[in-house]
Amino acid sequence: MSTVSPRGKGSLPELVIRPEYEVSDIAQAQISEVAHKLSLIERIWNINGVRKAVILLGLVAAWQGYTVGFDVEPLMLPSFSVSITTLYNALFHGDLIYKIWYSVKVLLIGYSAGLIIAAILILWATANRFGSDFIAMATAMFNPLPAIALLPLAMLWFGLGTASLVFVLIHSVLWAVALSTHSGFENVSHTLRMIGRNYGLKGIKYVWKILVPAALPSILAGMKIGWAFAWRTLIGAELVFGASSGSGGLGWYIFESSQNIDTDGVFAGLFMVILFGIVVENVVFRNIELRTVNLWGMQR
Amino acid sequence: MSTIPNVLVRSEFEATDITKADTGDVARKLTLFERISDMNSIRKLSILVLVIVAWEIYTRLSGVSELILPKFSATAAALFQAVTSEQLLAMVWNSMIVLVTGYVIGLVIATLLTTAATMTRFGNDVLSTLTAMLNPLPAIALLPLALLWFGLGADAIIFTLLHSVIWPVALNAHVGFMSVSETQRMVGQNYGLKGLVYVGKLLIPAAFPQILMGLKIGWAYAWRTLIAAELVFGGSISDTDDGAAGGLGWFIFSNQMELQIAHVFAGLFTVILVGVFVENVVFNAIENRTVRRWGMQAR
Repeated sequence: MSTVSPRGKGSLPELVIRPEYEVSDIAQAQISEVAHKLSLIERIWNINGVRKAVILLGLVAAWQGYTVGFDVEPLMLPSFSVSITTLYNALFHGDLIYKIWYSVKVLLIGYSAGLIIAAILILWATANRFGSDFIAMATAMFNPLPAIALLPLAMLWFGLGTASLVFVLIHSVLWAVALSTHSGFENVSHTLRMIGRNYGLKGIKYVWKILVPAALPSILAGMKIGWAFAWRTLIGAELVFGASSGSGGLGWYIFESSQNIDTDGVFAGLFMVILFGIVVENVVFRNIELRTVNLWGMQR
Repeated sequence: MSTIPNVLVRSEFEATDITKADTGDVARKLTLFERISDMNSIRKLSILVLVIVAWEIYTRLSGVSELILPKFSATAAALFQAVTSEQLLAMVWNSMIVLVTGYVIGLVIATLLTTAATMTRFGNDVLSTLTAMLNPLPAIALLPLALLWFGLGADAIIFTLLHSVIWPVALNAHVGFMSVSETQRMVGQNYGLKGLVYVGKLLIPAAFPQILMGLKIGWAYAWRTLIAAELVFGGSISDTDDGAAGGLGWFIFSNQMELQIAHVFAGLFTVILVGVFVENVVFNAIENRTVRRWGMQAR
Protein backbone atom coordinates (compact mmCIF):
# COMPACT_ATOMS: atom_id res chain seq x y z
CA MET A 1 0.00 0.00 0.00
CA SER A 2 2.83 2.38 0.73
CA THR A 3 3.47 4.82 -2.07
CA VAL A 4 6.83 6.27 -2.85
CA SER A 5 7.02 9.95 -2.04
CA PRO A 6 7.96 12.36 -4.86
CA ARG A 7 11.50 12.75 -3.54
CA GLY A 8 12.00 9.04 -3.58
CA LYS A 9 12.98 8.71 0.08
CA GLY A 10 10.78 7.25 2.78
CA SER A 11 7.12 6.52 2.43
CA LEU A 12 4.00 8.50 3.09
CA PRO A 13 2.02 7.44 6.18
CA GLU A 14 -1.22 5.66 5.54
CA LEU A 15 -4.32 7.79 5.48
CA VAL A 16 -6.68 7.48 8.42
CA ILE A 17 -10.28 7.89 7.51
CA ARG A 18 -12.40 8.96 10.44
CA PRO A 19 -16.02 7.89 10.55
CA GLU A 20 -18.60 10.53 9.74
CA TYR A 21 -20.82 11.77 12.54
CA GLU A 22 -23.39 14.44 13.14
CA VAL A 23 -23.58 16.82 16.06
CA SER A 24 -27.01 16.19 17.48
CA ASP A 25 -27.72 19.09 19.79
CA ILE A 26 -26.36 21.97 17.75
CA ALA A 27 -29.57 23.86 18.38
CA GLN A 28 -28.66 24.13 22.02
CA ALA A 29 -25.52 26.11 21.28
CA GLN A 30 -26.26 29.47 22.68
CA ILE A 31 -24.93 32.81 21.72
CA SER A 32 -24.60 34.81 24.89
CA GLU A 33 -24.80 38.57 25.09
CA VAL A 34 -23.15 40.06 22.05
CA ALA A 35 -22.92 43.52 23.49
CA HIS A 36 -23.81 44.75 26.89
CA LYS A 37 -23.61 48.10 28.52
CA LEU A 38 -20.64 48.52 30.84
CA SER A 39 -21.46 49.62 34.32
CA LEU A 40 -20.06 52.95 35.52
CA ILE A 41 -17.39 51.17 37.60
CA GLU A 42 -16.28 49.09 34.66
CA ARG A 43 -16.07 52.17 32.48
CA ILE A 44 -14.00 54.05 35.05
CA TRP A 45 -11.79 51.01 35.62
CA ASN A 46 -11.17 50.85 31.87
CA ILE A 47 -9.43 54.22 31.90
CA ASN A 48 -5.70 53.56 31.92
CA GLY A 49 -4.75 56.55 34.03
CA VAL A 50 -7.26 55.69 36.73
CA ARG A 51 -5.98 52.13 37.11
CA LYS A 52 -2.38 53.31 37.32
CA ALA A 53 -3.24 56.05 39.80
CA VAL A 54 -5.04 53.46 41.93
CA ILE A 55 -1.97 51.21 41.86
CA LEU A 56 0.25 54.13 42.79
CA LEU A 57 -2.08 55.09 45.64
CA GLY A 58 -2.17 51.45 46.74
CA LEU A 59 1.64 51.34 46.90
CA VAL A 60 1.77 54.56 48.88
CA ALA A 61 -0.97 53.35 51.23
CA ALA A 62 0.83 50.03 51.74
CA TRP A 63 4.06 51.86 52.55
CA GLN A 64 2.32 54.22 54.95
CA GLY A 65 0.30 51.43 56.53
CA TYR A 66 3.33 49.21 56.97
CA THR A 67 5.51 51.88 58.56
CA VAL A 68 2.79 53.22 60.85
CA GLY A 69 1.09 49.92 61.64
CA PHE A 70 4.23 47.94 62.41
CA ASP A 71 5.93 50.87 64.08
CA VAL A 72 9.02 50.55 61.87
CA GLU A 73 12.10 52.36 63.07
CA PRO A 74 12.01 55.65 61.06
CA LEU A 75 15.78 55.54 60.68
CA MET A 76 15.40 52.36 58.64
CA LEU A 77 12.24 53.19 56.71
CA PRO A 78 10.48 56.51 57.32
CA SER A 79 6.78 56.71 56.56
CA PHE A 80 5.61 58.20 53.28
CA SER A 81 4.10 61.27 54.91
CA VAL A 82 7.35 62.10 56.71
CA SER A 83 9.34 61.70 53.49
CA ILE A 84 6.98 63.99 51.60
CA THR A 85 7.10 66.59 54.37
CA THR A 86 10.89 66.47 54.31
CA LEU A 87 10.83 66.87 50.54
CA TYR A 88 8.49 69.86 50.82
CA ASN A 89 10.63 71.50 53.48
CA ALA A 90 13.86 70.85 51.60
CA LEU A 91 12.40 72.26 48.40
CA PHE A 92 10.75 75.36 49.77
CA HIS A 93 12.67 76.11 52.95
CA GLY A 94 15.98 74.41 52.29
CA ASP A 95 18.49 74.57 49.47
CA LEU A 96 17.47 71.40 47.59
CA ILE A 97 16.42 73.51 44.60
CA TYR A 98 19.94 74.94 44.27
CA LYS A 99 21.44 71.47 44.55
CA ILE A 100 19.18 70.21 41.78
CA TRP A 101 20.09 73.22 39.65
CA TYR A 102 23.78 72.55 40.23
CA SER A 103 23.39 68.92 39.14
CA VAL A 104 21.36 69.88 36.09
CA LYS A 105 23.87 72.53 35.08
CA VAL A 106 26.79 70.10 35.22
CA LEU A 107 24.72 67.49 33.41
CA LEU A 108 23.77 69.87 30.61
CA ILE A 109 27.35 71.07 30.12
CA GLY A 110 28.67 67.52 30.01
CA TYR A 111 25.87 66.24 27.80
CA SER A 112 26.11 68.98 25.20
CA ALA A 113 29.91 68.87 25.14
CA GLY A 114 29.68 65.10 24.64
CA LEU A 115 27.19 65.53 21.79
CA ILE A 116 29.41 68.11 20.06
CA ILE A 117 32.49 65.91 20.28
CA ALA A 118 30.48 62.93 19.06
CA ALA A 119 29.23 64.98 16.11
CA ILE A 120 32.76 66.02 15.17
CA LEU A 121 34.05 62.45 15.40
CA ILE A 122 31.15 61.17 13.32
CA LEU A 123 31.69 63.83 10.64
CA TRP A 124 35.29 62.73 10.45
CA ALA A 125 34.17 59.10 10.23
CA THR A 126 31.86 59.79 7.30
CA ALA A 127 34.57 61.75 5.52
CA ASN A 128 37.18 59.02 5.34
CA ARG A 129 37.88 55.41 6.06
CA PHE A 130 40.60 56.05 8.61
CA GLY A 131 38.14 58.08 10.69
CA SER A 132 35.55 55.34 10.40
CA ASP A 133 38.04 52.73 11.58
CA PHE A 134 39.14 54.95 14.43
CA ILE A 135 35.55 55.43 15.63
CA ALA A 136 34.84 51.72 15.42
CA MET A 137 37.97 50.94 17.41
CA ALA A 138 37.44 53.65 20.03
CA THR A 139 33.77 52.88 20.63
CA ALA A 140 34.45 49.16 20.91
CA MET A 141 37.06 49.91 23.54
CA PHE A 142 35.53 52.75 25.51
CA ASN A 143 31.83 51.93 25.38
CA PRO A 144 32.15 48.99 27.78
CA LEU A 145 34.24 51.11 30.18
CA PRO A 146 31.99 52.58 32.86
CA ALA A 147 32.59 56.33 32.90
CA ILE A 148 32.63 56.40 36.68
CA ALA A 149 35.80 54.27 36.65
CA LEU A 150 37.56 57.25 35.07
CA LEU A 151 36.61 59.52 37.95
CA PRO A 152 39.75 58.79 39.98
CA LEU A 153 41.88 59.73 36.96
CA ALA A 154 39.75 62.77 36.18
CA MET A 155 40.20 64.06 39.70
CA LEU A 156 43.92 63.66 39.33
CA TRP A 157 44.01 65.51 36.01
CA PHE A 158 41.44 68.21 36.57
CA GLY A 159 41.39 68.48 40.33
CA LEU A 160 38.37 68.28 42.56
CA GLY A 161 35.66 70.25 40.85
CA THR A 162 33.16 70.63 38.11
CA ALA A 163 35.79 70.04 35.40
CA SER A 164 36.36 66.43 36.40
CA LEU A 165 32.61 65.77 36.62
CA VAL A 166 32.18 67.21 33.13
CA PHE A 167 35.06 65.07 31.83
CA VAL A 168 33.43 61.92 33.16
CA LEU A 169 30.02 62.93 31.80
CA ILE A 170 31.50 63.58 28.35
CA HIS A 171 32.98 60.12 28.41
CA SER A 172 29.64 58.56 29.36
CA VAL A 173 27.74 60.35 26.58
CA LEU A 174 30.28 60.40 23.77
CA TRP A 175 30.73 56.68 23.10
CA ALA A 176 27.10 55.67 23.40
CA VAL A 177 26.03 58.41 20.97
CA ALA A 178 28.96 57.85 18.58
CA LEU A 179 28.36 54.10 18.49
CA SER A 180 24.67 54.23 17.64
CA THR A 181 25.04 57.17 15.25
CA HIS A 182 27.84 55.42 13.41
CA SER A 183 25.89 52.19 13.05
CA GLY A 184 22.78 54.19 12.12
CA PHE A 185 24.69 55.96 9.33
CA GLU A 186 26.03 52.67 8.05
CA ASN A 187 22.53 51.23 7.85
CA VAL A 188 21.09 54.11 5.79
CA SER A 189 19.71 52.46 2.68
CA HIS A 190 21.57 52.78 -0.57
CA THR A 191 18.52 54.21 -2.30
CA LEU A 192 18.47 57.18 0.06
CA ARG A 193 22.20 57.72 -0.36
CA MET A 194 21.88 57.69 -4.15
CA ILE A 195 18.99 60.17 -3.99
CA GLY A 196 21.28 62.46 -2.04
CA ARG A 197 24.03 62.14 -4.62
CA ASN A 198 21.51 62.72 -7.37
CA TYR A 199 20.69 66.06 -5.78
CA GLY A 200 24.40 66.81 -5.75
CA LEU A 201 24.61 66.89 -1.95
CA LYS A 202 28.13 66.61 -0.62
CA GLY A 203 30.07 66.85 2.62
CA ILE A 204 28.25 68.35 5.57
CA LYS A 205 25.10 69.00 3.54
CA TYR A 206 24.93 65.34 2.57
CA VAL A 207 25.29 64.30 6.20
CA TRP A 208 22.75 66.82 7.47
CA LYS A 209 20.08 66.42 4.80
CA ILE A 210 20.31 62.69 4.09
CA LEU A 211 22.20 60.71 6.72
CA VAL A 212 20.94 62.45 9.86
CA PRO A 213 17.22 62.30 9.06
CA ALA A 214 17.51 58.74 7.77
CA ALA A 215 19.40 57.54 10.84
CA LEU A 216 17.49 59.64 13.36
CA PRO A 217 15.78 56.72 15.13
CA SER A 218 19.11 55.18 16.07
CA ILE A 219 20.66 58.59 16.83
CA LEU A 220 17.79 59.26 19.24
CA ALA A 221 18.20 55.82 20.77
CA GLY A 222 21.88 56.62 21.30
CA MET A 223 21.04 59.98 22.83
CA LYS A 224 18.60 58.31 25.22
CA ILE A 225 21.14 55.71 26.29
CA GLY A 226 23.75 58.46 26.58
CA TRP A 227 21.38 60.46 28.78
CA ALA A 228 20.67 57.41 30.95
CA PHE A 229 24.39 56.71 31.38
CA ALA A 230 25.15 60.37 32.07
CA TRP A 231 22.40 60.66 34.68
CA ARG A 232 23.57 57.49 36.41
CA THR A 233 27.18 58.57 36.25
CA LEU A 234 26.44 62.02 37.61
CA ILE A 235 24.47 60.71 40.59
CA GLY A 236 27.17 58.10 41.22
CA ALA A 237 29.98 60.63 40.96
CA GLU A 238 28.22 63.06 43.28
CA LEU A 239 27.53 60.28 45.74
CA VAL A 240 31.25 59.64 45.90
CA PHE A 241 32.97 62.92 45.53
CA GLY A 242 30.17 65.48 45.33
CA ALA A 243 31.01 67.70 48.23
CA SER A 244 34.51 68.31 47.01
CA SER A 245 33.12 70.12 44.00
CA GLY A 246 31.90 73.13 45.92
CA SER A 247 28.21 73.25 46.71
CA GLY A 248 27.37 69.66 45.75
CA GLY A 249 24.36 68.40 43.85
CA LEU A 250 21.44 66.04 44.20
CA GLY A 251 23.63 62.96 44.66
CA TRP A 252 25.52 64.72 47.40
CA TYR A 253 22.23 65.62 49.10
CA ILE A 254 21.35 61.90 49.21
CA PHE A 255 24.77 60.92 50.49
CA GLU A 256 24.83 63.66 53.12
CA SER A 257 21.38 62.65 54.36
CA SER A 258 22.39 59.02 54.60
CA GLN A 259 25.59 59.95 56.46
CA ASN A 260 23.50 61.92 58.96
CA ILE A 261 21.15 58.91 59.19
CA ASP A 262 18.46 61.26 57.98
CA THR A 263 16.65 58.56 56.02
CA ASP A 264 13.62 60.69 55.14
CA GLY A 265 16.07 63.08 53.47
CA VAL A 266 17.41 60.14 51.42
CA PHE A 267 13.88 59.35 50.27
CA ALA A 268 13.22 63.01 49.48
CA GLY A 269 16.35 63.00 47.29
CA LEU A 270 15.32 59.77 45.60
CA PHE A 271 11.88 61.25 44.83
CA MET A 272 13.55 64.19 43.11
CA VAL A 273 15.87 61.89 41.14
CA ILE A 274 12.89 59.83 39.95
CA LEU A 275 10.88 62.95 39.13
CA PHE A 276 13.67 64.51 37.11
CA GLY A 277 14.33 61.25 35.29
CA ILE A 278 10.65 60.87 34.39
CA VAL A 279 10.47 64.46 33.13
CA VAL A 280 13.48 64.03 30.85
CA GLU A 281 12.51 60.60 29.52
CA ASN A 282 8.76 61.05 29.16
CA VAL A 283 8.51 64.76 28.39
CA VAL A 284 11.72 65.87 26.67
CA PHE A 285 12.61 62.77 24.65
CA ARG A 286 8.97 61.82 24.06
CA ASN A 287 8.33 65.25 22.52
CA ILE A 288 11.42 65.07 20.34
CA GLU A 289 10.27 61.66 19.12
CA LEU A 290 6.73 62.83 18.47
CA ARG A 291 7.97 65.78 16.44
CA THR A 292 10.49 63.84 14.38
CA VAL A 293 10.59 60.08 13.96
CA ASN A 294 6.94 59.51 14.85
CA LEU A 295 5.81 62.39 12.67
CA TRP A 296 7.86 61.07 9.77
CA GLY A 297 6.43 57.60 10.25
CA MET A 298 9.78 55.95 10.99
CA GLN A 299 8.76 54.62 14.37
CA ARG A 300 5.48 53.72 15.93
CA MET B 1 -8.30 73.98 -16.05
CA SER B 2 -4.71 74.92 -16.39
CA THR B 3 -2.97 74.99 -19.70
CA ILE B 4 0.01 72.87 -20.55
CA PRO B 5 3.20 74.98 -20.37
CA ASN B 6 5.02 75.63 -23.61
CA VAL B 7 7.36 72.84 -24.52
CA LEU B 8 10.93 74.00 -24.58
CA VAL B 9 12.72 72.62 -27.59
CA ARG B 10 16.50 72.68 -27.26
CA SER B 11 18.53 72.99 -30.38
CA GLU B 12 20.24 69.84 -31.62
CA PHE B 13 24.01 69.61 -31.31
CA GLU B 14 26.68 67.05 -31.77
CA ALA B 15 29.48 66.36 -29.28
CA THR B 16 32.68 66.81 -31.17
CA ASP B 17 35.45 65.02 -29.34
CA ILE B 18 33.64 62.00 -27.96
CA THR B 19 36.58 59.79 -28.88
CA LYS B 20 38.70 61.58 -26.33
CA ALA B 21 36.40 60.50 -23.45
CA ASP B 22 38.56 58.43 -21.23
CA THR B 23 37.20 55.55 -19.19
CA GLY B 24 40.30 55.18 -17.06
CA ASP B 25 41.33 51.86 -15.51
CA VAL B 26 38.38 49.53 -15.57
CA ALA B 27 40.16 46.95 -13.50
CA ARG B 28 43.65 47.01 -12.19
CA LYS B 29 45.70 44.95 -9.85
CA LEU B 30 45.88 46.33 -6.34
CA THR B 31 49.30 46.87 -4.94
CA LEU B 32 50.36 44.79 -1.96
CA PHE B 33 49.95 47.81 0.33
CA GLU B 34 46.41 48.44 -0.88
CA ARG B 35 45.49 44.81 -0.41
CA ILE B 36 46.84 44.76 3.14
CA SER B 37 45.17 48.02 4.07
CA ASP B 38 41.88 46.67 2.74
CA MET B 39 41.83 44.12 5.53
CA ASN B 40 39.60 45.43 8.28
CA SER B 41 41.34 43.84 11.22
CA ILE B 42 44.77 45.02 10.08
CA ARG B 43 43.61 48.62 9.79
CA LYS B 44 42.04 48.52 13.23
CA LEU B 45 45.02 46.81 14.77
CA SER B 46 47.38 49.39 13.27
CA ILE B 47 45.27 52.20 14.75
CA LEU B 48 45.58 50.56 18.15
CA VAL B 49 49.34 50.22 17.73
CA LEU B 50 49.56 53.82 16.52
CA VAL B 51 47.73 55.10 19.60
CA ILE B 52 49.96 53.07 21.89
CA VAL B 53 53.12 54.26 20.17
CA ALA B 54 51.93 57.88 20.30
CA TRP B 55 51.20 57.49 24.01
CA GLU B 56 54.62 55.99 24.72
CA ILE B 57 56.47 58.64 22.68
CA TYR B 58 54.47 61.49 24.19
CA THR B 59 55.11 60.36 27.76
CA ARG B 60 58.81 59.82 27.08
CA LEU B 61 59.48 63.08 25.24
CA SER B 62 57.30 65.55 27.11
CA GLY B 63 58.53 64.32 30.46
CA VAL B 64 55.00 64.34 31.81
CA SER B 65 54.88 63.25 35.43
CA GLU B 66 54.30 59.56 36.07
CA LEU B 67 51.59 60.67 38.46
CA ILE B 68 49.63 62.37 35.70
CA LEU B 69 50.08 59.95 32.83
CA PRO B 70 52.28 56.86 33.19
CA LYS B 71 54.08 55.38 30.20
CA PHE B 72 52.34 52.61 28.33
CA SER B 73 55.22 50.27 29.13
CA ALA B 74 54.88 51.08 32.84
CA THR B 75 51.14 50.41 32.62
CA ALA B 76 51.67 47.07 30.91
CA ALA B 77 54.28 46.15 33.52
CA ALA B 78 51.87 47.16 36.29
CA LEU B 79 49.14 45.02 34.74
CA PHE B 80 51.49 42.05 34.54
CA GLN B 81 52.62 42.56 38.11
CA ALA B 82 49.05 42.96 39.36
CA VAL B 83 47.98 39.77 37.65
CA THR B 84 50.95 37.71 38.83
CA SER B 85 51.53 38.96 42.34
CA GLU B 86 48.65 41.19 43.46
CA GLN B 87 45.69 38.90 42.99
CA LEU B 88 44.06 41.04 40.34
CA LEU B 89 42.42 37.95 38.89
CA ALA B 90 40.96 37.08 42.28
CA MET B 91 39.56 40.62 42.49
CA VAL B 92 38.00 40.29 39.04
CA TRP B 93 36.56 36.97 40.19
CA ASN B 94 35.11 38.61 43.34
CA SER B 95 33.46 41.27 41.20
CA MET B 96 32.11 38.76 38.73
CA ILE B 97 30.56 36.56 41.43
CA VAL B 98 28.65 39.51 42.87
CA LEU B 99 27.69 40.68 39.39
CA VAL B 100 26.45 37.29 38.20
CA THR B 101 24.50 36.68 41.42
CA GLY B 102 22.74 40.03 41.11
CA TYR B 103 22.16 39.62 37.38
CA VAL B 104 20.66 36.15 37.65
CA ILE B 105 18.35 36.99 40.56
CA GLY B 106 17.33 40.16 38.70
CA LEU B 107 16.51 38.14 35.60
CA VAL B 108 14.35 35.73 37.60
CA ILE B 109 12.39 38.57 39.20
CA ALA B 110 12.05 40.35 35.86
CA THR B 111 10.76 37.14 34.26
CA LEU B 112 8.16 36.70 37.00
CA LEU B 113 7.01 40.31 36.67
CA THR B 114 6.77 40.14 32.89
CA THR B 115 4.94 36.82 32.93
CA ALA B 116 2.42 38.24 35.37
CA ALA B 117 2.10 41.31 33.16
CA THR B 118 1.34 39.30 30.03
CA MET B 119 -1.24 37.12 31.75
CA THR B 120 -3.39 39.70 33.55
CA ARG B 121 -4.28 43.30 32.97
CA PHE B 122 -3.65 44.13 36.61
CA GLY B 123 -0.10 42.74 36.32
CA ASN B 124 0.36 44.78 33.19
CA ASP B 125 -0.65 47.97 34.99
CA VAL B 126 1.57 47.21 37.98
CA LEU B 127 4.57 46.56 35.76
CA SER B 128 4.14 49.66 33.63
CA THR B 129 3.67 51.87 36.69
CA LEU B 130 6.71 50.42 38.43
CA THR B 131 8.99 50.59 35.39
CA ALA B 132 7.94 54.14 34.56
CA MET B 133 8.80 55.14 38.11
CA LEU B 134 11.88 53.10 38.85
CA ASN B 135 13.61 52.79 35.47
CA PRO B 136 14.79 56.43 35.49
CA LEU B 137 16.16 56.02 39.03
CA PRO B 138 19.90 55.28 38.91
CA ALA B 139 20.53 52.13 40.92
CA ILE B 140 23.60 53.64 42.55
CA ALA B 141 21.37 56.21 44.28
CA LEU B 142 19.85 53.32 46.23
CA LEU B 143 23.23 52.25 47.58
CA PRO B 144 23.04 54.46 50.71
CA LEU B 145 19.65 52.92 51.55
CA ALA B 146 20.90 49.42 50.76
CA LEU B 147 23.87 49.94 53.08
CA LEU B 148 21.46 51.02 55.80
CA TRP B 149 19.16 48.03 55.31
CA PHE B 150 21.63 45.24 54.58
CA GLY B 151 24.78 46.56 56.21
CA LEU B 152 28.18 46.77 54.60
CA GLY B 153 28.51 43.68 52.48
CA ALA B 154 27.83 41.92 49.25
CA ASP B 155 24.09 41.91 50.05
CA ALA B 156 23.87 45.68 49.67
CA ILE B 157 25.62 45.58 46.29
CA ILE B 158 23.45 42.71 45.10
CA PHE B 159 20.35 44.70 46.06
CA THR B 160 21.46 47.66 43.94
CA LEU B 161 22.44 45.33 41.09
CA LEU B 162 18.97 43.75 41.21
CA HIS B 163 17.46 47.15 40.87
CA SER B 164 19.69 48.02 37.94
CA VAL B 165 18.82 44.81 36.06
CA ILE B 166 15.11 44.25 36.75
CA TRP B 167 13.62 47.40 35.23
CA PRO B 168 15.36 47.60 31.87
CA VAL B 169 14.94 43.85 31.32
CA ALA B 170 11.27 43.84 32.35
CA LEU B 171 10.55 46.97 30.33
CA ASN B 172 12.11 45.65 27.12
CA ALA B 173 10.66 42.16 27.47
CA HIS B 174 7.22 43.62 28.05
CA VAL B 175 7.45 45.95 25.05
CA GLY B 176 8.70 42.99 23.01
CA PHE B 177 5.78 40.80 24.12
CA MET B 178 3.28 43.52 23.32
CA SER B 179 4.59 43.93 19.80
CA VAL B 180 4.50 40.22 18.87
CA SER B 181 2.37 40.11 15.75
CA GLU B 182 -1.24 39.05 16.03
CA THR B 183 -0.67 36.34 13.42
CA GLN B 184 1.94 34.61 15.57
CA ARG B 185 -0.27 34.89 18.63
CA MET B 186 -3.13 33.25 16.78
CA VAL B 187 -0.84 30.47 15.57
CA GLY B 188 0.02 29.82 19.20
CA GLN B 189 -3.63 29.78 20.20
CA ASN B 190 -4.37 27.46 17.33
CA TYR B 191 -1.91 24.99 18.78
CA GLY B 192 -3.74 25.30 22.06
CA LEU B 193 -0.78 26.89 23.87
CA LYS B 194 -1.77 28.53 27.10
CA GLY B 195 -0.23 30.18 30.15
CA LEU B 196 3.45 29.46 30.71
CA VAL B 197 3.80 27.23 27.66
CA TYR B 198 2.39 30.04 25.52
CA VAL B 199 4.92 32.48 26.99
CA GLY B 200 7.85 30.05 26.72
CA LYS B 201 7.18 28.62 23.27
CA LEU B 202 5.70 31.57 21.48
CA LEU B 203 6.16 34.96 23.10
CA ILE B 204 9.80 34.58 24.16
CA PRO B 205 11.15 33.41 20.78
CA ALA B 206 9.06 35.99 18.92
CA ALA B 207 10.18 38.85 21.16
CA PHE B 208 13.76 37.64 21.54
CA PRO B 209 15.48 40.56 19.76
CA GLN B 210 13.84 42.97 22.20
CA ILE B 211 14.53 40.72 25.20
CA LEU B 212 18.18 40.47 24.21
CA MET B 213 18.38 44.24 23.97
CA GLY B 214 16.97 44.46 27.49
CA LEU B 215 19.53 41.91 28.68
CA LYS B 216 22.33 43.95 27.13
CA ILE B 217 21.14 47.23 28.65
CA GLY B 218 20.65 45.48 31.98
CA TRP B 219 24.21 44.16 31.79
CA ALA B 220 25.59 47.60 30.92
CA TYR B 221 23.76 49.22 33.85
CA ALA B 222 24.76 46.43 36.23
CA TRP B 223 28.42 46.63 35.21
CA ARG B 224 28.48 50.40 35.68
CA THR B 225 26.66 50.16 38.99
CA LEU B 226 28.99 47.48 40.28
CA ILE B 227 32.13 49.45 39.44
CA ALA B 228 30.67 52.61 40.97
CA ALA B 229 29.56 50.79 44.11
CA GLU B 230 32.96 49.20 44.53
CA LEU B 231 34.68 52.52 43.95
CA VAL B 232 32.73 53.91 46.88
CA PHE B 233 32.46 51.15 49.39
CA GLY B 234 34.54 48.38 47.84
CA GLY B 235 36.96 47.84 50.66
CA SER B 236 34.26 47.27 53.22
CA ILE B 237 32.38 44.93 50.94
CA SER B 238 35.36 42.75 50.27
CA ASP B 239 35.29 39.10 51.09
CA THR B 240 38.22 39.34 53.47
CA ASP B 241 38.27 35.69 54.49
CA ASP B 242 40.63 34.58 51.75
CA GLY B 243 42.71 37.73 51.89
CA ALA B 244 41.67 38.84 48.41
CA ALA B 245 40.48 42.33 49.23
CA GLY B 246 37.63 43.88 47.32
CA GLY B 247 36.76 43.84 43.66
CA LEU B 248 37.97 45.51 40.52
CA GLY B 249 36.52 48.92 41.40
CA TRP B 250 38.26 48.80 44.73
CA PHE B 251 41.55 47.94 43.01
CA ILE B 252 41.26 51.15 40.97
CA PHE B 253 40.23 53.28 43.93
CA SER B 254 42.83 52.04 46.39
CA ASN B 255 45.61 52.43 43.83
CA GLN B 256 44.49 55.94 43.05
CA MET B 257 44.59 56.72 46.77
CA GLU B 258 48.16 55.44 46.89
CA LEU B 259 49.00 57.39 43.71
CA GLN B 260 49.93 54.19 41.88
CA ILE B 261 48.67 55.65 38.63
CA ALA B 262 50.12 52.91 36.44
CA HIS B 263 48.08 50.45 38.48
CA VAL B 264 44.97 52.60 38.01
CA PHE B 265 45.47 52.34 34.27
CA ALA B 266 46.02 48.61 34.59
CA GLY B 267 42.69 48.37 36.45
CA LEU B 268 40.96 50.39 33.73
CA PHE B 269 42.39 48.06 31.07
CA THR B 270 41.01 45.10 32.97
CA VAL B 271 37.58 46.77 33.17
CA ILE B 272 37.70 47.36 29.41
CA LEU B 273 38.80 43.78 28.75
CA VAL B 274 35.99 42.30 30.85
CA GLY B 275 33.45 44.62 29.21
CA VAL B 276 34.65 43.85 25.70
CA PHE B 277 34.63 40.14 26.50
CA VAL B 278 31.05 40.14 27.75
CA GLU B 279 29.68 42.37 25.00
CA ASN B 280 31.58 40.94 22.05
CA VAL B 281 31.99 37.31 23.03
CA VAL B 282 29.12 36.35 25.31
CA PHE B 283 26.33 38.43 23.81
CA ASN B 284 27.58 37.94 20.26
CA ALA B 285 27.53 34.17 20.75
CA ILE B 286 23.97 34.36 22.08
CA GLU B 287 22.94 36.51 19.11
CA ASN B 288 24.57 34.16 16.63
CA ARG B 289 22.81 31.15 18.07
CA THR B 290 19.39 32.74 18.33
CA VAL B 291 18.19 35.87 16.57
CA ARG B 292 20.68 35.74 13.71
CA ARG B 293 20.20 32.06 13.04
CA TRP B 294 16.45 32.59 13.09
CA GLY B 295 16.87 35.44 10.63
CA MET B 296 15.34 38.05 12.92
CA GLN B 297 18.30 40.42 12.88
CA ALA B 298 20.59 41.45 10.08
CA ARG B 299 24.23 40.42 10.05
